[in-house]
Amino acid sequence: MNMVSSVQTAKKLSGSLVPSPAAAKPLAVVGGVLAIVAALLPWVTFRFNDGPYPELATLQFFDAPLQVTGFRLHLLLFGVAAVAVALVPKVPGRGRVLRALGWGVFAVSLVTTVFIVGLGGGLGAATAADGASAFGGIVGVLAGLLLVLSAAATGVGEVPRWSTDVPKPVAWLALLLAFACVLYLVSLTLTAGGLGGASNPYAGPVFLAFLGMAGGLLGALNGVGLVKWISVLSERHRGFSIVVLLLCALALPLTEAGTDYWMTVATTIGVYAATAIGLNVVVGLAGLLDLGYVAFMGVGAFVGANLSGAAAAKLGITLPFPVAALVAAVIAGIIGAIVGSPTLRVRGDYLAIVTLAFGEIFTRSAQNDIGGLTGGPNAIPGIPAVSIGGTAFNQPLEVGGLELPGGVLYYFMIVLVVGAVMAIFANLKNSRIGRAWIAIREDEDAARAMGIKTGRAKILAFLTGATLAGLAGAIFAHKLGTASYDSFKFLESVTLLAAVILGGMGTIPGAVLGAALLFVLPEKLREFSDYRLLIFGLALVFIMRFRPQGLVPDRVRRAELAGETAEGKSIQQVEEALVAEQESVDHAPERDAKGDRS
Amino acid sequence: MTTLLQQIANGIALGATIGLIALGYTMVYGIIQLINFAHGEVFMVGAFGGLATYRWLLPEGIRGDWYLSLPLMLLGGVVVAVTVALLMERFAYRPLRNAPRLAPLITALGVSIVLQEAIRLWFPDADAAQPFPKAFLDAQIKIGPISLRATQLLLIAVSIVLSVLLQTYVNRSKMGRAMRATAQDPDTARLMGINPNRVIVLTFAIGAALAGVAGVLYGIDITNVDNAIGFQNGIFAFTAAVLGGIGSLRGAVIGAFVIGLIKTLGGQYMPGGTQYDYVWIFVVLILVLVFRPQGLFGEAERVRA
Repeated sequence: MNMVSSVQTAKKLSGSLVPSPAAAKPLAVVGGVLAIVAALLPWVTFRFNDGPYPELATLQFFDAPLQVTGFRLHLLLFGVAAVAVALVPKVPGRGRVLRALGWGVFAVSLVTTVFIVGLGGGLGAATAADGASAFGGIVGVLAGLLLVLSAAATGVGEVPRWSTDVPKPVAWLALLLAFACVLYLVSLTLTAGGLGGASNPYAGPVFLAFLGMAGGLLGALNGVGLVKWISVLSERHRGFSIVVLLLCALALPLTEAGTDYWMTVATTIGVYAATAIGLNVVVGLAGLLDLGYVAFMGVGAFVGANLSGAAAAKLGITLPFPVAALVAAVIAGIIGAIVGSPTLRVRGDYLAIVTLAFGEIFTRSAQNDIGGLTGGPNAIPGIPAVSIGGTAFNQPLEVGGLELPGGVLYYFMIVLVVGAVMAIFANLKNSRIGRAWIAIREDEDAARAMGIKTGRAKILAFLTGATLAGLAGAIFAHKLGTASYDSFKFLESVTLLAAVILGGMGTIPGAVLGAALLFVLPEKLREFSDYRLLIFGLALVFIMRFRPQGLVPDRVRRAELAGETAEGKSIQQVEEALVAEQESVDHAPERDAKGDRS
Repeated sequence: MTTLLQQIANGIALGATIGLIALGYTMVYGIIQLINFAHGEVFMVGAFGGLATYRWLLPEGIRGDWYLSLPLMLLGGVVVAVTVALLMERFAYRPLRNAPRLAPLITALGVSIVLQEAIRLWFPDADAAQPFPKAFLDAQIKIGPISLRATQLLLIAVSIVLSVLLQTYVNRSKMGRAMRATAQDPDTARLMGINPNRVIVLTFAIGAALAGVAGVLYGIDITNVDNAIGFQNGIFAFTAAVLGGIGSLRGAVIGAFVIGLIKTLGGQYMPGGTQYDYVWIFVVLILVLVFRPQGLFGEAERVRA
């Protein structure tokens, strides 16, 4: 530190924070060592094990030194990795890897320290008090910053490209391993920190610190070019990838996350992910801002509930679930087309307001039990669980000695639904109508001039989105056993919109990731449930300000919204790279997906 | 007949509140084509600003004298509303001025949620509705068969006076001319030596001041406020602005009175009663947007989208 500090001060004075390239290696080594040291230092000055909550709380042995579990293990591994990356010659994408590791260390340390200070009794807990000192958190934060600085000094270049001309078995093995790791990571993420709540106040910090670690890890893997490599391979062996991915998703109940609780959470995420993909068609592809989207989910839920034979349903019609869900989807779709019809005359923000108005009319009508169909404030309770051949979907399942948790069948169902929806979306996006939607989003007048029937295309976007939402709504009602207007209010629409925007408009993984984050985080951060909406609002503002293209940016969108990529490359560079990449994909020896592009 | 007249009077009183908010919507939209979704929350924050002034700033002695406490509460409400509006213009909207159109709208949505939640979380006890002081004559005034609260008459009077003042200001003053010029053509206005940032800031400030006044008067009239009043009244006001022709000051005020009448009369005479009065406003909004998007007084070319 000392040897660079004078250089750094001079640099700071001249208005730049980036140290000289010569300082990169020492900075990285010091940062890495500090991360290791931080992992081994005590993090609090006293045990939190006496007295009532929140004193009665432990954060994975965080007062004992030399304990390497949980976040300490992550810090230790990151520190070792940073030192190794700094010292080993010719690491591909060194700057990127260091940067990712640095932010990971920083996030893990900061989250943990903030929680110790916030919940654990002041700054003394993380510095020195009661005759003990505990500087783990501070050292960790410092280590993270040093690593980020060293990355800046190294310079962040292109993501390295690995040769993708590998024999089929190697590619398949790599994909298999990669997806298995993804499954493991998902299961770890879901269970990280355990259930939130009064008995486990540190679920939030453990989970957030884990997210920081996961983010750093993925960033580092992306930095060396592994993620890119895998994604090119999976694009090339598309059929195989889809099968493996589906199997991995279906295998989730076999992992640590295989409990009733996590199955319910995962199913809920799936429902909202399917809905978010539907919204993505409307907002992300066609560029029509819909502020009343959740109403379609509500329509699906109420139609599904009324046809399910629930005692409280007035119609008294009992249909088997698949038929009820289908009817719900169709009716929601028809209503979607009706709501979308003003799009023929109204554009832009005006359309947003029209959809908001429709959404409010739906909520108000449902709240007042319109036509006796929605149960009003009493909701429609007692919707029977879906069952096939006498097996109710909410019961645990035993298949040949294998015990599966309750609700696992709902989970399987929603995985298949989300999978199907993703496949439909992917094909739609590259189809004639999908390209028409994108053209409308970019410039409606130009699209019309090119011969696109814009009115029909826009209504079709609404119809598609609403149908998906209706289907998701019907599943949602059956899973929950009740349908209440309360679940389909304006704020839910905003949440879904936030999911789509956070994930990245117009991309499938974006919508799924956004929905997962926005519905797992509240589950984990019960401690902060009061602040949930506030954080949502701030998130919307900050995303629009700093990363309008979302976490997983759409290619076209990325160039359009940011003017340049997150990495600071100009649009032209990106386009050149895209062309090169497209050529490499197009010239691939075997390509399963040829039929998918019409 | 008495009921009808009474409901018309109530509708006009409601319209007066909505009109003050709608002016802010329409001015901001006229200048930068932004639907400032958070404007309703500025109204709400203004009401809480007035409440805070009464609770913590006014000395015990003058609380009873409405002619002292009311102006001070209005001042408090206006100061808070303007401060919030300027902060949000500076930090949320200005960086996005050249962004795609969806971006500021989504930001406005976010700001709206943030303001609602900030009041609920950090204004003492504001997670439930808060009683608002009766800082005006607490009397019913009879005009022929109808009777109105003194506070409703105050709202109507203030609303009319302020809209006339605003109209005069925009039409006659130098700054008003600059505003109109910026609304018509920002680039040319800039060439003529007008600083668009100043115009925009002033527009936000005037709109927020009107919303702040409306917030305090609304609180006094309804006698309790919560953090949801902004969203609902904001949507009514937006509908009014669209109905009148967004960008037109006169249109916004007249639209507001129409909306007020639709709500009270719809609640009285349409099927479903007051439970559905809200719905009729949205039905009108949709019909107007679909069949006459330029509104009653708007110019067709003003509607850019």
